[in-house]
Amino acid sequence: MTLLRRYATLIGFAAILLFFAISLPDTFLTSQNLINISQQVSMLAVVAFAMTVVMAMGDFDLSVGSMASLSGVVAATLFVAGWSVPAGIAAALAVGLLGGLFNGLLVAGLGILPFVATLGTLTMFSGIAFTISDGRTIFGRDIPEGFGTFARDALELGSLRIPSLTLVALAVLAVVWFVLEHTSYGRRLYAIGGNMEAARLAGVNVRRLRASAFAITGLGAAGAGLMVASRVASANPTQGAGLMLDAIAAVFLGMTMSEEAEPRVLATLVGVLILAVLDNGLTQLAVDSYVREILVGGIILAAVASARIGLGRG
Amino acid sequence: MALLSIRELHKSYGGAPVLSGVSLDLRAGEVHALMGENGAGKSTLIRILAGVTVADRVEARLDGASLGLGTPAEADRAGFRFVHQELNIVPALSVAENIFLGHPMPRRFGAAVDWKRLNARAAEALARFGVRHIDPRAKAGRLGVGDRMLIRLASMLVGGASPARLFVLDEPTAALTHAESDRLFRVIDELARGGAAILYVSHRIDEVMALASRVTVLRDGKVALSAPTAETSRAALIRAMTGREIAEGHPPRLATPRPSVVCRLEDLSSGRLSGLRFDLRAGEVLGVVGLDNAGQSDLLRLLLGEGAPAGGRAEVAGRSLPRSPAEAWRRGIAYVPRERRKEGLMSGRTITANTVLPHLSRLSRHGLARPRREAAEARRVAERLRLRFQHLSQPVRTLSGGNQQKVVLGRATLATPRLLLLEEPTRGVDVGARQDIYAALRGLAAEGCAIVLASTDLPEVLGLADRILILRDGRQAAIVGAAGLDPSSLLALIYGDEEPVPAS
Repeated sequence: MTLLRRYATLIGFAAILLFFAISLPDTFLTSQNLINISQQVSMLAVVAFAMTVVMAMGDFDLSVGSMASLSGVVAATLFVAGWSVPAGIAAALAVGLLGGLFNGLLVAGLGILPFVATLGTLTMFSGIAFTISDGRTIFGRDIPEGFGTFARDALELGSLRIPSLTLVALAVLAVVWFVLEHTSYGRRLYAIGGNMEAARLAGVNVRRLRASAFAITGLGAAGAGLMVASRVASANPTQGAGLMLDAIAAVFLGMTMSEEAEPRVLATLVGVLILAVLDNGLTQLAVDSYVREILVGGIILAAVASARIGLGRG
Repeated sequence: MALLSIRELHKSYGGAPVLSGVSLDLRAGEVHALMGENGAGKSTLIRILAGVTVADRVEARLDGASLGLGTPAEADRAGFRFVHQELNIVPALSVAENIFLGHPMPRRFGAAVDWKRLNARAAEALARFGVRHIDPRAKAGRLGVGDRMLIRLASMLVGGASPARLFVLDEPTAALTHAESDRLFRVIDELARGGAAILYVSHRIDEVMALASRVTVLRDGKVALSAPTAETSRAALIRAMTGREIAEGHPPRLATPRPSVVCRLEDLSSGRLSGLRFDLRAGEVLGVVGLDNAGQSDLLRLLLGEGAPAGGRAEVAGRSLPRSPAEAWRRGIAYVPRERRKEGLMSGRTITANTVLPHLSRLSRHGLARPRREAAEARRVAERLRLRFQHLSQPVRTLSGGNQQKVVLGRATLATPRLLLLEEPTRGVDVGARQDIYAALRGLAAEGCAIVLASTDLPEVLGLADRILILRDGRQAAIVGAAGLDPSSLLALIYGDEEPVPAS
């Protein structure tokens, strides 16, 4: 029972892979398709990894999607104003850091529930993105060459071309993994997630840590927003909107693999891959996108339910 | 004849027997105590009575008729009622609503709640065991733990498939103050006099001797002793529980307090605290006692850096009061909170993670965690406190209560603190673990650690403390030397019946 609970998600992932490998014998398990998947999912992956940081503390951040849109719009607007690519990127990332810090101050400083605080900033960030861009898509000659081509670049490894977006996602994964699993900082975040009051009374500076963790998540969301903007070589105030729910779903899927239901970033990676493989495989099978959403939602619920079963006392 | 008779109760988990051949007879109108160390099988026995756990084999008879024990519904039909340590009440609802929670409420016109009758019936239920000080219309969240327990008991009288016949109370006084405990004992007497059988689970020998007419002791899943309390003794109970002779009481002092002052308060006031004035020297143990909620927690939390002083002067470890718990721990002020589960443990996290948390900065290098060093340190304190565990990476929720408490204490003492703040350090802890904790505290004092010990266990305070601070409504009422005091004279001081002789 424990085994089933622990490995249900991995078994499910393997089953999904097997299913697509059999139904799509020629196109699914090819290196080209797998590389495509890795690129398609890289933006979601970055948001999900960043989300894992706040979820380690038992919090979550609903504003990541609109932060991603905002950062893309900020960068594009600055490019239009003549800023260089590095300066635009730095400014957009700074916006993410500050926006995340704002979330953190609302949650940790004022004690507003994360759900409410980030629901508020979700709306705010989105509104700011619309205001800055005037509701238009910024594209074409306004976007510098270097910014748009970055997403199409790749690292050549023999016959393999690893897309640069995939490499960015892997780098973010490595950093988040290092911070959460190998630093005192990460241990304190998990302690807060385990019992916030106990952590505070044991000398953990809960306020500062919560604020900083939200800042990190904001930074990650902004980074993902830049990746999206680079990939489509344009920016509009809604293009990051879909990321938030999928990111939270990926973290939840990952949490089902931990005995104590703790979010771990490598498990989040599995969650991200499940969503990505489903999306890719079902698209290839020409399953209607609305049906796809029903299936994805059902699989998330099944995974979480199977983790609850046998937990007994729940 | 027994109301409930249990014979040949067997239960094992994965081949390991937890209960083997246990017999138990509970009589109407009688308080029967159940004792045993943590892990002796008490909890399993209770869960089987409640129908939450199914026995491998059992012969149960209720009034001589065979009784099936298997589901909570059967237990409810048999009239069994359970009060657990963790009290589930809904703070936002009134006392009366909580009493009727899960039971049909009195109604008017078939739908609307009849508030008048609801409150009247709640008051009646409370009055059945002599409780008149709780207003049924008050918000339950405003009540103390003791009163919450009373409304749970009242709730058991109004509802259920059949009238209550057996009350099982699992360490009910663990979280109660003296006054609350006294009141609960009167209620238990009242329930027994009404013809109910009471199964009373407790670690506290004094309570058992005073309250119960019979006692059964479990050890390693077997009945080690079952006798009328009048025919047994404290020593016999301890022997039965531990299987060995334990020098009960408190280990002797290993050293006398040193001259250096660790903590000095001069007429300090803060919040509801006032008139605090004492010096605490290195190696000294200061007991803090008072009636329920007389400010014990507030005093310890103030020293931990919560709450700002309003007047007077305070010096802790050479400086002013810390401004946050984080600063307090950095300066060598460690804290063992009152509510182990709520305020002490991250119960899903490992023994190591729980133990090293406040010491991470010291154990890491440039912020980089060093897991092997963390584990080595955790193992060192675990062994010093004689923690019983399988491996350091097991979640602390899988430990027994006494061992969980050792983890919290281990966290506070991983590095010898300059000032150790303890609240109820042995609540819900069995005799053996208690002795280990006392020995550790003596060792810390000998190393020069100053200890502030707030406890409702008066023999414990008298046995460990050098001096005792008595709080009354947040005010420092007295500070006395512990030598020569006994529990009853200390209690008299707490109630303010006599004026103390000031300690030098």
